[in-house]
Amino acid sequence: MNGLPVRDFAALAPVAILALGALTLLMSEVFLTSPRRGYQAGVTLVTAVVTAVSAAVVPPAGPIFGGQATIDAFSVFVTVVICLGVGLSALVSAGWLHARDAERGEYYALTLFAAAGMVLLGMSSDLLVAFIAIEIMSLSTYSLTAYQRRGRRPSEAAFKYMILGAISSALLLYGSSLIYGATGTTLFSGMHGGRGAGSMLLVAGLGLVASGIAFKVAAVPFHAWTPDVYEGAPTPVTAFMAAGVKTAAFALLARIFLSSQTGAGVADLSFSRILTVLALLTMIFGNLLALPQRSVKRMLAYSSVAHAGYLLVGVVSAKVEGARSIALAGVLFYLAAYTATVIGAFAVVGALEARARDGEEARRPWDLDRFSGLARKSPLLAFAMTVFLLSLAGVPPTAGFMGKLYIFKAAVGADLIPLAVTGILTSILGAFYYLRVIVHMYMKPAAGEEPVVATTSMALALGGAVAFVAVLGILGDPLIRLAQAASAVVM
Amino acid sequence: MNLLTVVTFLPLAGAVLLALIPRDEAGQHRAATLVFTLLTFFLSLGLWFGFDASPAAPEFQFEVRLPWMPSIGIGYHVGLDGVALLLVMLTTVLMPVVILSTWKAVGERVKEFMVALLVLETAMIGTFAALDLILFYVFWELMLIPMYLLIGIWGSQNRLYATVKFFIYTFAASVLMLLAILFVYFHDGNTFDYLEARSALQVTAEQARYLFLAFGLAFAVKVPMFPLHTWLPDAHTEAPTAGSVILAGVLLKMGTFGFFRYALPLFPEAALTYRPLLAGLATVGIIYGALMSFVQTDMKRLVAYSSVSHLGFVMLGLAALSAESLTGSVYQMLNHGVSTGALFLLVGMLYERRHTRAIAEYGGLARQVPWLATAFLVVTLSSIGLPGTNGFVGEFLILSGTFLSRLASSTVLATVASIGVILGAVYMLVLVEKVFFGAIKNEENRHLPDLSVREGFVLAPMIVLIVVMGLLPGPFLAPAKPAVDRLVQRFQQAEARLGVPTSVGTVDAAVAARPSLPPGRAF
Repeated sequence: MNGLPVRDFAALAPVAILALGALTLLMSEVFLTSPRRGYQAGVTLVTAVVTAVSAAVVPPAGPIFGGQATIDAFSVFVTVVICLGVGLSALVSAGWLHARDAERGEYYALTLFAAAGMVLLGMSSDLLVAFIAIEIMSLSTYSLTAYQRRGRRPSEAAFKYMILGAISSALLLYGSSLIYGATGTTLFSGMHGGRGAGSMLLVAGLGLVASGIAFKVAAVPFHAWTPDVYEGAPTPVTAFMAAGVKTAAFALLARIFLSSQTGAGVADLSFSRILTVLALLTMIFGNLLALPQRSVKRMLAYSSVAHAGYLLVGVVSAKVEGARSIALAGVLFYLAAYTATVIGAFAVVGALEARARDGEEARRPWDLDRFSGLARKSPLLAFAMTVFLLSLAGVPPTAGFMGKLYIFKAAVGADLIPLAVTGILTSILGAFYYLRVIVHMYMKPAAGEEPVVATTSMALALGGAVAFVAVLGILGDPLIRLAQAASAVVM
Repeated sequence: MNLLTVVTFLPLAGAVLLALIPRDEAGQHRAATLVFTLLTFFLSLGLWFGFDASPAAPEFQFEVRLPWMPSIGIGYHVGLDGVALLLVMLTTVLMPVVILSTWKAVGERVKEFMVALLVLETAMIGTFAALDLILFYVFWELMLIPMYLLIGIWGSQNRLYATVKFFIYTFAASVLMLLAILFVYFHDGNTFDYLEARSALQVTAEQARYLFLAFGLAFAVKVPMFPLHTWLPDAHTEAPTAGSVILAGVLLKMGTFGFFRYALPLFPEAALTYRPLLAGLATVGIIYGALMSFVQTDMKRLVAYSSVSHLGFVMLGLAALSAESLTGSVYQMLNHGVSTGALFLLVGMLYERRHTRAIAEYGGLARQVPWLATAFLVVTLSSIGLPGTNGFVGEFLILSGTFLSRLASSTVLATVASIGVILGAVYMLVLVEKVFFGAIKNEENRHLPDLSVREGFVLAPMIVLIVVMGLLPGPFLAPAKPAVDRLVQRFQQAEARLGVPTSVGTVDAAVAARPSLPPGRAF
C-alpha cells in the first residue's frame, strides 16, 4: 500500500465529524465570550445528527486499514444508536446544566469525544484499535464524571471509575498480548486460527479480554464501580454512560464473541462458558441488589447491571448457528430500546433531583420520596417516567418488552432454557422495584412542593424518548429489519 | 374495516380523545366515556347478530390476518369463536354499566380513571379476540397496568399492598407463559400464529407437560385456582367498585378462557395428565372458598371468596371435559360475570350510603331501601343458582356433566362440589339476612335513600340478564356449542393418537348424544 490510505480515512468520517464537533465547541469557549451557552447543546445535537446521517447514507466501506476496523451495517447501526444517545443526553444536559449554571463547552466536547471513542469501538475489529477506542471513550467519561466537583460524591465516583477502569484496561491489554502470543495476530478474525489455536494461552487471553469488557458493561462480579459512579456522576452524564458505554462495549463483545465462535475447539467453548456464567450472575445479582435501593438513581444503576445480564444472554445465544441472527439482531434492538429508555428515565431523575445549596450537598437527592405525588404535580413527567419504567420492566407494549422478547426468543431458539428461565424470573424482581417508583408517583401524596426542572430542551428529549419507546413497542418492525440486516453482515 | 378490530380499538380511541378534554371537566369525561362504551356495545351487537353458530360455520369469524411485526413472526391476527364472542359481549355490556356506577363514587382524578377504564376495555376485548400468541400476550399484560392503577389510586386504605400483590402475582405467573410461547414458536414451524401452532406443534410429551404448566400457571393465577388465589381477596376488597366489578366480571374469566382456548387445545396430551390435579384443586377451591366466605366480616371480602368458589365450578367443568360440563363452564363464566358483577355493584351502593363494608354495621335495611333489598335478593338467588335464574343453568350443567363424565372419580368430585352449592346458599342467604332483615341496630341505618334512577339504570341490565339467561339459555348456549364440540373432538383425537381408551365425554353415549339443552326451554 502506497501513500495515504485516503479511502480508509474517509470511511472513518463519523468519528471525525464527532471529533470536529468537539473541537468546535472547545474553540467556541475560547472565542465566544457571551455568557449565553444555549447554543452548545444545539451544536452537539447537530453534530450527532450529522454523524448519524453520514453513517447511514454513505455505503459501508467494509474492512479498512488492513482489517483493523470494519465499517459495515453493524457498525452503522451502533453508530446511529450512539448518536441517538448523544442527541438525547445533550438535550437533557442543556436543561440540567442550565438550571445549575454549569453549561460549558468542555462538557459537550467531552461528550462528543466519548462518542467518537464509542463509534470507533463499534467499528473496531482489532484488539489494539479496540483498546485505543476504549481509552478515548473512557478518559472522556472519567472527566465527565468529575465534571461537577461539588461535594464528596463526584470526586469519589470519578476516582473510583478511573482506578477500576485502568485495571480493566490493563486486563484487556494483557489479554490481548496473550492472544497475540497464541495466534500471532491481534485481528479478531485471526483469533480462531493461527499457531496456538486451542491452546491454554489463547483461553487465558480471551478470558482476560472478556473480563476487561465485563468491567465496561458492568457485569457481575465486575460491577462494583457501577452504583457509586452512576450515582456520583452528574445525572445527564450517567444517562449518557448507561446508554453509550453499554452500546459500544456490547458491540465490541459481540464482534469478538462471533470471531471466537467461527473456529473449533477450546476458544469458543471457554469464551461462551465465561459469558454464560457472567450472564447468570449479572441477572441475578443486578436485580437482587436493585431491590432494596431507596435512591432511584442508584436503583437505575443496579438495574443497568441487570440489563447487561439480559444483553449477555443475547450474546451467548449467538453461539448456536441457528439462533445467531435472532440473537445479534436482538442485542442491537435491545441496545436501541435501552438507549432511549434509560436516558429518559435518568432525565426524569435529573429533573426531580434536589439541588445543592450554599455549597452543601443535598441530602438524599434522589430519594423515592421525591417522586411522591408527581402524577399530580406534573402529570406529563409522571406519565413519561411510567412509560420508561414499564419499558425497563419489559411490560408490553413498550420497546423494552420487544427487546426482551427478542433476546429471550434467541435464548429459547439456542436451547439455552436455563438462561432464559433465569432471565425471565429475575425480571419479576425488576417489575417489583420499577413499580415502586410508579406507586410513589401515582399513589402517594406529595412530600414537598419543590419545583421540577423542566425546560423546553428536556421536554423535547422526554417527548422524543417516550415516542421512541412507544413506537418501537407497537411499530418496531422497521428497526427490527435494520437490526437483522446489521447482524447479517457480521455473521 | 373489520368490525371486531373496530370494537377492540374504539375504547382506546375514546381514551385518546379524553386526553384532549381539560382535566377539570369531570362531567364531560364521564359523559364521553359512557358514550364510547355504549357505542362499543352497540357495535358489538353487530358481532352478536353476525355470528354464525351452526356447526358448519368457520371456527373463527370476523377474522383478520395482517402482518404486524413480520420480521420476528408476529402477526395481527384476530377472530372470535363462540366462547370469545360471549365473553366479548359480557365485556361490552358490563363497561357502560360500570361507568354509570362510578358517576358519584369517583370524584377525584376522573380523567385518569376514565382513561384507565377505556384502555382496560380495549385490552380485555383484545385478549379475547387475539389469535396470535404474542398479540394475546401483549393484550394480556396490557390489562395489568390500568387495573394496577385503578386499585392503587382509587382503592381503599390498604390499596398499595393489594395492588402491588396483584401486579406481581399476575406478572410473575405470566412471564413463564411468554417463555412457553417462545418455545412453541420454535416447534411449530416458526410462527406465533395460534391456529398454526395448534395444528403444527411438534413437542415431546415431556416438553408438552412443561409447556402446559407454564401456560396453566399464568391462567390458574388469574382464575384464581386454590392455592394461588391469595391476591384476589385483597385486590377485590381494596379496589374501587368499578375495579371490583371488572375484576370479577371479566378479568377472572381470562384465566378460564385461557385454559379453554390455549392450555387445553394446544397441549391436549399434557392436559390429560394434569386433569385430575385441575379437577382436585377446583373442588378444593369450591369448598375452601365457600368456607372462607362464611367467616368474613367484610362484605366485599365475602363476595371475593365466593368468587374463588364459583370459579372452582368453572374449572371443574373444564377438567371434566364432557360436552355438558364444558358448556356449563362457559355459561357459568357469563353468570359469574353478571351475578358477581352485580353483587359488587350493590355492595358499592351500600358503601356509598354508609361508607363501611362491615356486615355488622348493617341490619334491617329492607324497610328503608326496599328496591335495593329486592335487587340484592334477586342477585343473591342468581349467585346461589336458584332455578329460574342464570346460575342454575350453569351449575346444573357443570355438576351433571361432571357427574356423568369419564374423569376419574368424577362422581365423588361432583358430589363434593354439590356440597359447595349448598354452602353457597347458606353464606349468601346469611349475608342477606344480616344486612337487610332483622331489627335496625344501628341508628345510622334508619334514614338511607333507596335506589336512585341512575342506580336503577345500573342494575336493570344485570337483573334482566339474570332472568333472561335463566329462562332462555338457548341463544347464549348456541354460540358456545361448536367451540365446545371442537374441544371435545380435539381431545378424542389426542387420545386416539396416544392409543388410550377415551376418558372425555360422558359415560353414557345416549346422554352425550343428547343436545345439551334445547334452546328456549323454560325451567
